[in-house]
Amino acid sequence: MKLISSLLLLVTISTSVAANENEQAEPWLERLAQSLQTLNFSTSFVVVKNNQAEPYHWFHGVDESGNELEILSLLNGPRRDVLRKHNTVSYIEPEAPPYSVSSQQIAGPIPAVLREGVTQLAKTYDFISVGRSRVLGRPAQLIRIVSKDVYRYGHWLWLDQKTGMLLKLALANRTGQLLEQIQFTHLDITDDLSESLMQLQQTALPAVIEIPDGYQEQVLQWQVKWLPEGFTRLNANRHRMSSTKKPVEFMLFNDGLVDVSVYVNQSEERQRATDYVMDGATVVLNQVINGFEVSVVGKIPAKTAKAIADSVIFTPKELP
Amino acid sequence: MSENKFENVSSVVDNYQQTDELFDEILNDSHLSATWQRYHLMGDVMRGDTSDVINLDLSSTIASAIADEPTILAPRANNNVVDKLKAKVVQFAKPFGQMAIAASAAGLMVMGVQQNSADNDVLLPETQVVKTMPFGGVAEPVSLNFQQTSRTSEKQAFIEQQRRFQALLSDHHQQVKLSSVDVNSTTEQDKAAESAK
Repeated sequence: MKLISSLLLLVTISTSVAANENEQAEPWLERLAQSLQTLNFSTSFVVVKNNQAEPYHWFHGVDESGNELEILSLLNGPRRDVLRKHNTVSYIEPEAPPYSVSSQQIAGPIPAVLREGVTQLAKTYDFISVGRSRVLGRPAQLIRIVSKDVYRYGHWLWLDQKTGMLLKLALANRTGQLLEQIQFTHLDITDDLSESLMQLQQTALPAVIEIPDGYQEQVLQWQVKWLPEGFTRLNANRHRMSSTKKPVEFMLFNDGLVDVSVYVNQSEERQRATDYVMDGATVVLNQVINGFEVSVVGKIPAKTAKAIADSVIFTPKELP
Repeated sequence: MSENKFENVSSVVDNYQQTDELFDEILNDSHLSATWQRYHLMGDVMRGDTSDVINLDLSSTIASAIADEPTILAPRANNNVVDKLKAKVVQFAKPFGQMAIAASAAGLMVMGVQQNSADNDVLLPETQVVKTMPFGGVAEPVSLNFQQTSRTSEKQAFIEQQRRFQALLSDHHQQVKLSSVDVNSTTEQDKAAESAK
């Protein structure tokens, strides 16, 4: 009886807290975006997934002329560095010679939307301020970005009360089970650029690769008929898979927070049952129906991925 | 117990006020200490920081377990001679021991692969995390008359499947990197168009 009444009490407290602080969540996220764009910081974090930890170093700063400088490097295994000078991002990876793209976003473990501001997410996600806790030895505010429907994961963010910086980020399913976590292990905020960023200022980045006009808006034979609300198509092209060189029809969708790739290609097999693996929160799902292989990759629940894969249909179109 | 004291505990938990006197008061009063513990538990539950099993009174369980521990009164046996003998035996036995470990490790690897391929047909529950593996070091069966072709083809299928997943994952990451370009260049074009207006 005591237990039940205390649980009831907890529920009432938590709902009232959520209602009271609902308005406060968005200013916190705006402050985070501001901090990620303007502060000079040098920080380390660990991505925890699949019982493994991937450590990263992350530097960010703004030089005298107001241009942003950024370095993100993976510390274990073969070198994987991402360098950014204003709107040029260079990827240094073991699989390919170094290349640059013209972009203001680093494609890494931390969603780029956090530095762009979250207003664009408001249609599909709710922002909830949950309460205080202690992270990285600092008082932190926990903010949850919760999907309005059941097709997406929730993002939990712990933000520094003093600077608004990100201290911890977790992806959780609807039952609150953590799938992937990013825990910051050290954070330095300075007035001046760190030494690594000063070196980056002197460094010439590899040449920017040119992507032909229209390459990312090709007319494809296959279409996705169903996606959760809020997903828009960023890219539709035909290319060869980077490692197997298999030709595929490819579509990339994004709801502001997560990316979902859909692949369609011919298969030697006639039928193959649906199969999937999870890499942290990223699901890779794959099935063959009537000689065509459909694959879906992204940070979405497996059920959503399956529904997307099942909705792919053949719509023959005249090629221009 | 006055309401005021509980309020003090609450404000200490929330980092509002922290003075040495307050801490002393909480520490010296078992009732207030229990309140302090409960408040933290409430906070943890609300933030979802708790594990599945909440053991409400861990410290007292441990204290009583320690109290129940038997005290050893018998003196230690003096076994220097045995130690010397043992040292020699250990030196002699060591190489065999290492061999045995190596052999059992190989056994484990083969077992592991078979285990994996056997599990393959089952659709994994959503929460189960499967690590995709690189395939440099897959153990081959050692025996000369190993002829279970079905098993090897099963293994082949498993390797094939892992390759497929790995290829999809890395291509996805690459396309995301290339596509952030497109988004940005269009937004820049939009900006240019807007400023032209």
